[in-house]
Amino acid sequence: MITKNDINNFIEKIPPSPDVLKQTISLLNNEELTKASKVASQDPALSAYLKNLVNKPLYGFKNEINDISQIFGILGLSASQQSVYNYMLTLLSPKKWELFALNESSFYELQANLSVKWQKILEHLNILDQDIESAITLLPASIIVSEALFKDVKTDVEMLRGVHALDYNTILLRLCDTTLFNICELIAKKWEMPPVIAEILKASSGTQKSENKEINQLGKWMHLLLFYELSKPMFINAELNDFIEFNVEYVEDIYEEFSTLMEIS
Amino acid sequence: MRAIVKNGIGVFTPQGFLDGNNSSTFLSIEDIEVTSQLNADTILVSLKKVIFFNKNGLDIFVKLFKKIREKNSITVGFCDYDKKKFQAINRFYSNDMSFSLFKTLEIASLFSQSFKNQQKNILLYSDDKSQRTAMAIELHDNGHNPIVAPTLEDFNEKASNKAAYDYIIEYTFLGQMGQKIATRVTGNAIIYTVSAFLDTDIGNTFNIAYHHNSLNVGFRLFIFDAYKVISMNIHAFNFFSKLSTSAAEYNATIVFVGLDFTKIPESFKENMEDAGILFYEQMDDILQNKELLKELGASSASNVINKRVIDKSTVTKLPNFIDATVSTIEMMTNSKAVKETVEVNNIEIKEKEGRIASSIGFYGDIDGMVILVFPTEIAKKACELLIGEKTDDVELILDTLAELVNIVGGKIKMLLGDHKISVNITLPRTYHSVDDLLEVVENKKGVQVDLAFDNDKFLFFLTK
Repeated sequence: MITKNDINNFIEKIPPSPDVLKQTISLLNNEELTKASKVASQDPALSAYLKNLVNKPLYGFKNEINDISQIFGILGLSASQQSVYNYMLTLLSPKKWELFALNESSFYELQANLSVKWQKILEHLNILDQDIESAITLLPASIIVSEALFKDVKTDVEMLRGVHALDYNTILLRLCDTTLFNICELIAKKWEMPPVIAEILKASSGTQKSENKEINQLGKWMHLLLFYELSKPMFINAELNDFIEFNVEYVEDIYEEFSTLMEIS
Repeated sequence: MRAIVKNGIGVFTPQGFLDGNNSSTFLSIEDIEVTSQLNADTILVSLKKVIFFNKNGLDIFVKLFKKIREKNSITVGFCDYDKKKFQAINRFYSNDMSFSLFKTLEIASLFSQSFKNQQKNILLYSDDKSQRTAMAIELHDNGHNPIVAPTLEDFNEKASNKAAYDYIIEYTFLGQMGQKIATRVTGNAIIYTVSAFLDTDIGNTFNIAYHHNSLNVGFRLFIFDAYKVISMNIHAFNFFSKLSTSAAEYNATIVFVGLDFTKIPESFKENMEDAGILFYEQMDDILQNKELLKELGASSASNVINKRVIDKSTVTKLPNFIDATVSTIEMMTNSKAVKETVEVNNIEIKEKEGRIASSIGFYGDIDGMVILVFPTEIAKKACELLIGEKTDDVELILDTLAELVNIVGGKIKMLLGDHKISVNITLPRTYHSVDDLLEVVENKKGVQVDLAFDNDKFLFFLTK
């Protein structure tokens, strides 16, 4: 169904991070917001993405914001970096989704929702770390990887899942001895993302726990946040709710805190 | 979302958060319709992967339960929860809880008559006395040994000695239990369990489609486990007589085990015997007697009735059947298949050692049966994807192989559907050895395709 060869082909086809993005992130890391916005403005697609993102109701701005320096100014260093990483991920996402009933707009919405709520979680946990804040941006890569690897064998997977409850991550592990999250780690390396991003992402899988207590704790919050989002009707309809297995035991000790923070009743 | 059926229990497994906003997206009208057509004696919603739910979130599933019960009279309910969730569900539906609650899926299976392993020592407790009694009766009826703890203190004391019990049941509630006649397969015999007073309702609770499918796939021995039958009236008597007459067309045998005739007219017994029904006192009188099993047809499939037989039109669809099979095995083993020879002849298996087999029938616009003979190692490899680990447990491999062949059957149905050929598939059947298979198909003519998967020989046989 899927072989290691298919995975290698997929990884080989991942484009390197464009120079403009590399420069923008490097400048954001050096806290040079103005210079970063000037570089970012050179890429029309990135500019359009940022404008579209920041003008979503989720951000709550009354007037439309079009200037990149203004956008970076409003978002601040961390959120700007997150947005650039989110944009990088859209370069990987398919033009037409076939496995999941997603489109450009719903995928952006998932990215934006995750980013905003991750920010809220980190504020609650008193964590101020630009790289940790950006870790959430790699999470939807697991969905893109599932789409890329499984879309051509959709019928087979449906038949398989019709007789046995298997998620995409487990199928991949049993067939190829690797996981969606290991592949995301390779993407992160290729894009020269800080290693902590991939570490947290792997812990967020619910199956590849980290030995680092802090990273594991962040992985739990991210795992729960993912399923909080994937329980929204839009993403259940997109058949995303069970693309990986939700590990309830893993997140049980933080659930009360999470539910208070997200005002779940 | 669709339920996955295993051993007669269909299970939905929603994930994450269940509330009024999203619950209707988990179950469409089509999902409900498909569920009502499943061949299951229990439908459950597992809450194992649900971290939060409220009443609005559960309501959609409770509505599903009501519809399924009205239509199919089977057991419905929730399973896989903790004490907190159990108390919440009780609070939400305290006035109208017609569904059941099973702490785990394993516990639910103890109450299912399709459960194969009986005679378990089970400690149980409920603070509701009538529930304790109801559970004890159900478990006893299913062949288990229930030990009822009358008080929580007594339960806690007994439960501390976990080794003394196979299962410990608490936080479980029995709503209306299923009235469908439970079915299980033992070897190559189908066992139906009937109980209490048998009347006209037998026509509703007996799954006639399942029975016909079983005949079509080659089962020839049908045993009614009737230890718990009190009596029967003329309607039930007529039903069984007709069933036996129609089974005779397939050379199949209907047997009653444990039926007590003290409250049944003697004339019923004579007339049922005239219709070809046999009576035995103990199940083991049949199941432990291999000669008798053979005589009764538990390994024979001769004189199969088929209105439409395999012919040129079926054979022209052969590439579809092979494609469906090969792609499924390739998918499960992640290896490539090479087609070696194709011949129209009686089945010929050169190497019999280290091989197991499975078959699945299809009927409708065309009828036939696909037989697959696997080297045990390929079967093991294919099953690893479903089981998640290597195993040498032959029964587990055969069970999983049945799931795999079910996938093949589903694929055949779909591929033929693409060519406007409508068929239904039967239950898969597995064979421990090539000799077991040959007893069924030795003299059947069909199309044999020899395939190689990574140098292991694999055989595909299409017959009527």
